[in-house]
Amino acid sequence: MTADILTVEGLRKFFTVKRGFPNPKTVTVRALDGVSFTVKQGEAFGLVGESGCGKSTAGRAVLRLIEPDAGTIRFAGQDVHALDQSGLQALRRKMQIVFQDPYASLNPKRLIGKTLAEPMQVHGLAKGKDLDQRVAGLLAEVGLPQEAARRYPHEFSGGQRQRIGIARALSVEPELVIADEPVSALDVSIQAQVLLLLRGLQEKRGLSYVFVSHDLGVVRWFCQAVAVMYLGRIVERGPLPRMFDEPLHPYTQALRGASPVPDPKAKVQMMRIEGEVPSAANPPSGCHFHPRCPHAMERCKAEYPAWKELGQGRGVACHLFDQ
Amino acid sequence: MAEAPVLSVQGLTTEFRIGGQWHAAVRDMDFQLARNETLALVGESGCGKSITALSIMGLIPKAAGRVARGRIEFEGRNLPDLDDLEMRKLRGDRIAMIFQEPMTSLNPVLTIGFQVAEVLRYHRDISASEAREKALAILEEVKIPSARQRLDDYPHQFSGGMRQRVMIAMALACQPQVLLADEPTTALDVTIQAQVLVLLAELKQRFGMSMIFISHNLGVVATIADRVAVMYAGEIVETAPVGELFDRPTHPYTEALMRSIPRVDRTSAELFAIPGQVPPISRMPQGCRYAPRCGLKQAICEQQSPPLEPLQGTATHFARCWVRAGGAA
Repeated sequence: MTADILTVEGLRKFFTVKRGFPNPKTVTVRALDGVSFTVKQGEAFGLVGESGCGKSTAGRAVLRLIEPDAGTIRFAGQDVHALDQSGLQALRRKMQIVFQDPYASLNPKRLIGKTLAEPMQVHGLAKGKDLDQRVAGLLAEVGLPQEAARRYPHEFSGGQRQRIGIARALSVEPELVIADEPVSALDVSIQAQVLLLLRGLQEKRGLSYVFVSHDLGVVRWFCQAVAVMYLGRIVERGPLPRMFDEPLHPYTQALRGASPVPDPKAKVQMMRIEGEVPSAANPPSGCHFHPRCPHAMERCKAEYPAWKELGQGRGVACHLFDQ
Repeated sequence: MAEAPVLSVQGLTTEFRIGGQWHAAVRDMDFQLARNETLALVGESGCGKSITALSIMGLIPKAAGRVARGRIEFEGRNLPDLDDLEMRKLRGDRIAMIFQEPMTSLNPVLTIGFQVAEVLRYHRDISASEAREKALAILEEVKIPSARQRLDDYPHQFSGGMRQRVMIAMALACQPQVLLADEPTTALDVTIQAQVLVLLAELKQRFGMSMIFISHNLGVVATIADRVAVMYAGEIVETAPVGELFDRPTHPYTEALMRSIPRVDRTSAELFAIPGQVPPISRMPQGCRYAPRCGLKQAICEQQSPPLEPLQGTATHFARCWVRAGGAA
């Protein structure tokens, strides 16, 4: 039995935004509305869903890059929400993040060597010659040449920049990495390179991941367990690949059915789901998915289904599984 | 092929000027598009798939680019010979194009009803009110819910999927013979992508259009295409009917691409990455452009550029490879 490295319970984050012209109205966006999940030591845990479902907010709230309104986050037994500034800084050595757009998250005027050295200096991990050696070691580990240290971000391709982003996250030797759509901006051949690198690091360093993605194929290959989110809530959770082979929640089934497969014979099975993703500012009553759900019943319109644990790590929030 | 192709591209070479020198972004493209056929151009960023579409549309920016060679035959005319006015009459009427990001292709200060009607008023001799009625009909055709109420809405009031439907409505307003769709679903969520793909397939059938569908996503291509052309570094490296291509990927690049996709429908322990990256157009290798990344390369691959040749026993499956096609092996 492996230990849990991260436990998130009842995470909530509402954003208040002013919208409209010329008379702005205040609306509340329920980005996270009671999200709970657990990441085991050494596991890659996927968070999937469509735009606006709250998956990125969840990743950031875990690091307290966005302060959650409610809920508990425990990292290796430590209550993340209760930490003061210095405690938080110490914690961020253990938890790091890799962003989708590596260009936007690298300082364009700073040499790569400096970008990689700075986190180690901030955390007092190394200095002088040792620091240079560690930078060299990081570059080698992510498959970049040593000269990269003396170059600027614009001199690299997208895939190489993502390697730099990964090296920066690794510089402080974290135990958990939040990877927020790390391969979405990359071409498929480069995407595979980066996925293989992340997988290698998981094995070599015993890293755990929270892997945020909209691509079910990537999640199936990379993750050991997954949670599907819809409008700020987890609708289904379970181990992979079983959960994508036998999805229970109608939304998971729809996502699975709509994900294109590189096989022309599979196209007849492509499932159509009507309607659009509603706004998290104004989610439908009852189960948020009911207006698009082919199995919607009367009670789905009135009542949000309770979370049901089905054993073996599987859980679902749907009235179809009430018995 | 009994029927003449709707669109025929021969030897198309489109160049861009970099540092005072002309470099080919698309080189010696040959393809034909049959009536009611969907041809997918698939490849990674920078392979020239969008440049091909822009060349057909006459939209290559003149300051830095040019169609250097080749013929693009459509309805008895060679498109690069046409002047600006003739091209403008053709675009949006006989050939239309939709783009990846609908918000940047729609005018934010004009209502969508106006923008769809504008296409009709430019190309057809009809009154404003007739154009508006026709615009409404086409918006209903692309399944915009309560289209009549939404005619006077602005683009920002629509979601991404609905904006793409508006773009499709504008493109189809004059019932073009050929639709060029450049990554039309890439910016959309998967459930919305599925809806738009189904819509495009239905409309193509109904209007009897031909379509060139540009995508980097082999899953999407498998869903919508009749025939596929895989592009690499400005050239078609393999082309075949969709079933044949996915059953028997022959060019090492096509094969490597397919093995680098993590699939949602099956568990594959291994994922293969293609080492290295696409060469920049100013530094294309001699010989086969894929050779530096290819696991099968032989001496000839680095010396001479392979031709696009039919595979043995087929008339529809072509590959540009010394090792897997052609006589050099």
